[in-house]
Amino acid sequence: MAMLEINNINCFYGNVQALWDVSMNVGEGEIVALLGANGAGKTTLLNTVTGLVKPASGHVSFMGKSLDGVPVHSIMEMGIAYLPEGGRTFPDMSIRENLEMGAYPRSMWKTRKAGIDRMFELFPRLKERSKQMASTLSGGEKQMLAMARGLMSNPKLCLFDELSYGLAPIMVTEVFRIVQSLREDGITVLLVEQNVKQSMEIADRAYVLENGHIALEGPCCDLMDNSYVKKAYLGL
Amino acid sequence: MSTVVNIVIYGIIMGGVYGLISMGLTLQYGVGKILNVSHGEFLMLSAMTSCVLVKAGVHPLLTFVICLPAAFIVGFILNMTLYRWLRNFSKDEATFESNAMLMSFGLYFILANIGLKIWGTLSKSYQFYSYPVKILGATIIVNRLIGLGIAIVFIIAFFIFLNKTRLGKAIRATSQSTTAAAMMGVRINKTMAICFGTGGLLAAAAGILIGMSFSPTAQIGLTNTVIALIVVVLGGMGSIPGAVLGGLLIGLVGQAVSFFDTSLVTVAYYLMIIILLLIRPKGLLGR
Repeated sequence: MAMLEINNINCFYGNVQALWDVSMNVGEGEIVALLGANGAGKTTLLNTVTGLVKPASGHVSFMGKSLDGVPVHSIMEMGIAYLPEGGRTFPDMSIRENLEMGAYPRSMWKTRKAGIDRMFELFPRLKERSKQMASTLSGGEKQMLAMARGLMSNPKLCLFDELSYGLAPIMVTEVFRIVQSLREDGITVLLVEQNVKQSMEIADRAYVLENGHIALEGPCCDLMDNSYVKKAYLGL
Repeated sequence: MSTVVNIVIYGIIMGGVYGLISMGLTLQYGVGKILNVSHGEFLMLSAMTSCVLVKAGVHPLLTFVICLPAAFIVGFILNMTLYRWLRNFSKDEATFESNAMLMSFGLYFILANIGLKIWGTLSKSYQFYSYPVKILGATIIVNRLIGLGIAIVFIIAFFIFLNKTRLGKAIRATSQSTTAAAMMGVRINKTMAICFGTGGLLAAAAGILIGMSFSPTAQIGLTNTVIALIVVVLGGMGSIPGAVLGGLLIGLVGQAVSFFDTSLVTVAYYLMIIILLLIRPKGLLGR
């Protein structure tokens, strides 16, 4: 059984159907990419996992437990870290405080200092600026802070929404390198991206979402050779 | 010289009280997006209740232990019920914001009239260290200095609470990004209710200080809400340090102007607001 199972999700915004019978799964230890253009429904699908959006029908389960109706504040304690688009760091809190918030649940709060030290090892750039307010960071640094904050809770599964969006190319490479390194720590990753090429390079499998439908799915090595993907997403 | 000292010391004393009220108002708005027009009524009810309690033989400082938890609980319950229902009914944040203000208007009328029904328009007061001391040539009544001391203790304690405790950090996180805070595991509804209750508590604390030094009536609520609103706009909506700084400024300006002409005090406040809004629309420390 897969770690994250999304089965037959239908979702509406008012009268507009955003997701049509979408099913996908993420196995333990995998990096899976969910690709698609702006407005394809990627974020909506993620939000059905995190509980921010209620689907009209369909089910989501994580490690055998149903996520249907689980409120957003409980997701994290179950072992899922969610990074929304743009990171959403707390602008008027210091980097250290942002990281502390990543260990907010009572069970994690006591060990937050060890977690912060671990994150400073992984993201040395944050350590230099630990007392600075998050609002003073550059876009790439904010994204790293958001990643570190998400990792504070020792998640089993990370959901990354548009990690690379708006970042300088060198930062994109850096951020993707970190995603790849998570695999070594046994963290499973669902990567939601518009950056098709670089996502496919680090992911094991990918789903392509078009207008709320899963248009394609399969191992990345196969998809990269797929003539449709080449034409529509890779510009080859 | 003694006049200047007098104005400054009384300005700081009033600033402490204004800071307390305004911190509460700005907290309720910053976290819960509720512009609480009934805020001053918490202050009035607490001021009047503390006076009644003192007359009945309770030590003035002991009234804090009674009025503050009561105000917190009332605020907490109001938020968990009325405002939470309203939030669920409102289709988006902007609708909720305007609806919540209207609801707080309703609460203002209810609470203000409860006060009037019980106490009428007569003022209450009691004697507590009401003798003067000389400071740098100025004559200051001791209970006002005690009041200032208490206000400073509350302000500092509140800052420590917000910056050092787990709950305080959750409150700040919620005010900066509700969704992100929820994703960190913060119970948003509970946190908002705690903030609303804490706002009521701070207003109640200010109310007791007013009862200690002045003669409150059941009509002081709205006046103080308006002052708190001015302070909050001046300091920056949602900014706690802004509320303290704004309170201090309004306190000082109020005392200075009332030395010349008491009727010009409000004019001076609004003049400050207008000038500030033209130069810095976000308020002094707003973001």
